[in-house]
Formats: sequence, C-alpha cells, structure tokens
Amino acid sequence: MSAVGGRDAGRKGADRPPIVVYEGVVKRFGAFTALDGVSAQVNRGEVVCLIGPSGSGKSTLLRCTNALEAIDSGRVVFDGAPLPRRESEARHVRRRMGMVFQNFELFPHMTALENVAVGRSTVLSEADGTAKVRARALLAKVGLADKADNYPSTLSGGQQQRVAIARALAMDPEVMLFDEPTSALDPETIGEVLGVMKQLADEGMTMVVVTHEMTFARRVGNWVIVFDHGRIVEQGPPAQVFDAPREVRTREFLSHLGWGGDSG
Amino acid sequence: MKLDWSVPWQYRWMLADGVLVTVMLAVLTMAIAIPGGIAVMLLRQSGSRVLRAVGAAFVEFFRNLPLILLVYWSFYVLPIIVDIQLSPFATGLVALCLNVSAYNAETFRAGVNSIRAGQRNAGLALGMSRWQVMRKVILPQSTRRILPVLASTWVSLFKDTSLVSVIAVGDLAHNALQIRSQTFRVLEMLTVMAAIYWCLGYPQAKLVDWIHRRYGVSE
Repeated sequence: MSAVGGRDAGRKGADRPPIVVYEGVVKRFGAFTALDGVSAQVNRGEVVCLIGPSGSGKSTLLRCTNALEAIDSGRVVFDGAPLPRRESEARHVRRRMGMVFQNFELFPHMTALENVAVGRSTVLSEADGTAKVRARALLAKVGLADKADNYPSTLSGGQQQRVAIARALAMDPEVMLFDEPTSALDPETIGEVLGVMKQLADEGMTMVVVTHEMTFARRVGNWVIVFDHGRIVEQGPPAQVFDAPREVRTREFLSHLGWGGDSG
Repeated sequence: MKLDWSVPWQYRWMLADGVLVTVMLAVLTMAIAIPGGIAVMLLRQSGSRVLRAVGAAFVEFFRNLPLILLVYWSFYVLPIIVDIQLSPFATGLVALCLNVSAYNAETFRAGVNSIRAGQRNAGLALGMSRWQVMRKVILPQSTRRILPVLASTWVSLFKDTSLVSVIAVGDLAHNALQIRSQTFRVLEMLTVMAAIYWCLGYPQAKLVDWIHRRYGVSE
C-alpha cells in the first residue's frame, strides 16, 4: 500500500483519474488542529466511507471538499483542478457536488417540492415549471411523490432526509457528500435513508459518506478511511478494514462500537 | 379662563393638511428605510472589511445622534455638502430616513443572525451565491422575527415625525403650533393636537400588539 493509500490497482475506479484528491490537507480552528495532513482520494463511481470517533476530523474533511471550510495548507483537487479560494468561484464547484447534512437543513419556509426545485431555479436559472417537473421526479425516486406539497415540519426525520437527498440530486452532482446522514434520525427511519443511499450507490453515484453505520460502510462502501485526531489511521477496502484491521486504533474503535464482524 | 373650542374647528382643514403630511412622512420614511436598512445590513454582513466598516459607521453615527439634531443638520449642513437645496419636506424625510435606516439595519441584522448557520451552508452547498442565500433562504425566514420589531419602530416613527416641525415642514405638529401662535389659544390647540396624535397612534399600537402576538417567535 502506498503512502497516499489510494493508488491500488484493484480499487474501484482506479482506471480513471480520481474525482477528488486530498493532498496534505491541514485545517485549524484556533489552536485546535482538526485535520493534520490528510492525504486520500476518491475515485469516480466509488463509495468512500469516512469513519472514526466524534471530533476526529471526518466531517471537517467533508466540509473542506466543497469549500464550505477553507483549508490552512495542502490542497483539495476536484476533477483535476485545486478548489478556488475565492467565494465567487467556489460556488461554481459547489454546484457540481451535492451535500446532505446531519440535521437535514431543509428550508422550512418551502414545501418539499420547492426545496428540491430551488437549486435549479435559482442557481441554474431554470424556469420554475421545468425545475418543478424535475423535482417531482426526484421526490418519486426517493419515495416521496405524495409529500410534494408538505412543509418539512410535517415530515418525519427520515422523510426530511430523503427530501434533502433529492434536493442535492437535483443539481446533477458528480459527487454526493453525506455528513452523518442518519445520526439525527429515529432508529426506525434510518433504514429508509440508508436504502435510498444504497440505491444511489448501485446506480454508480460517487459518494463520500461520513457515517457511524458500520454495516452500511461494510456492505455498500468500496473504500473505508479511518480517522483519529485529525489524521488517517488506516484506509483500505472494507473487507480489510473491518475484518483484518492493520492498526491498533482501528481495532479499538471498531470494538468500542461493538463491531464483531459482518456475518451477513 | 374661558376656552374657545371654535378655534381648532375653524382651522380644521389646516390640521387635516398637517395630518396628511405626517402620515405621508411616516409612510415614505418607512418605504425608503426598509430597503435602506437592508442595504446597510448587507454592508455590515459583507465579505469586504471596508464595506463592513462603512456599514457599521453609518449605523453608529445615525443611531446615536438625537433625531432633532439630525433634522437641523439635514437642514443647515447637508445642502452645503451636496450643494442641493431641498424643500423642508424632503429635508425632513432625509433626516428621518437616515435615522430609521440605521435602526432597521440593526433589526434586520438581528433577524438574519438568528437563522442558524446550517441553513446558510445548505444554500451555499447548492451553489447559491451569498446574495441568493440571503434572498431565498435567510430573509424569508427572518421576516417573522423582524416584523414585530419593525412594527414598534413604526409607532415610534409616527410620533417622531413631529420633530421635523422645527424646520417648517407643514406636518400636524407644525400646523397646530402655527395656529396656536396666531390665535394664542395654547391650551385648546395643544389639547386638540394631542387628541389627534393619540387617535392616530392608539390603533397602530394595538395593531403592533396584535402583530407581536401573531408573529412573535417564542423560543
């Protein structure tokens, strides 16, 4: 395994240039170093899962991927070009990535349909009617065609998160970023969200997923990156990371979660 | 002392004129100071340090001067600076707009800052510009929080318009005081003037109370 850890020939999408490359990314919040020289890559068509203890830097890396956070040193390269520093240019890159948040962050003053349509009508200046036709199709895709006119406050957490996924998909993103998408959900609605994500993965969507759902990472992920204290402890295919972890920290983290291997 | 209530009645059309000017002043001031306040708030939220400083200076300057001083300043100093002689009405309007825009900017800023950062990030992540996030995501949500404060500002503004009477704008206060000095009917005119202001202001205050109950955010 190379130092970067991503150039394995057998890795999914290794035959094409990677969509995202992190090169020695450092991010500080005051005296706290959230990311301490992170290097990794995301191949096209891959599902990369970022796991590790809370506060280990996973979510920060995700937010650096679409320039919601500016990095202090290193580079984040998207589709061959480093992320622009200027806010006015950053948004042209952001529209090519979809993001799903832990707390959904649906717009509460818009219906589900409007939430999904607003990106296309505002950012792509698409006609309202056209954007809504597309939005309806996406709501159907996530199983919420009948909730188009509902406001977010009348939807369950799982339904809200599926609307949020549809909202991100509306921009036809080249990569989807998921920031702990099921952490704020009731246990009974986690499955419906993971189901939609699995369906996306099966369709070949490139995904970066920060998650505590080890079963999802094991079964759906193509590549797993383990974080601790702002550094990558270990990365590799899920079979290696979950069934034969090389690092002590990985084993500790997995056993702390009660991970006893995936028998299914 | 003998009271003569025929005097206010005799001058009723002059008083009505004054009421009209007062209402016009208040309406026009608010109509200008709402976009004005948004503009100043956007300056204060801008990415540029210089623009932020300009916005902050505007607010701190015009909010912390007594309104009557601002009225005199607009009347005597402003024409020298910009080399345009405005009518007394326009001059009074400028002074009120500067003051109320500064207040509104702070009201809007508080409303905007009350919307959590995640909402902004959700807009940005879709590729919206900061301005699009403001227009589509933040402002519509902050309206509920802003409206009650704006209503209170309106009630203060309605009474504060009386201060422009010192530069001979023909508002209710100015006309009533003019009639007083022509007829020497001090008690009658002041009473009538108070009654008119109260009758106009009271329903507004009640309306504001209703808006507070209806839209006030309790969290």
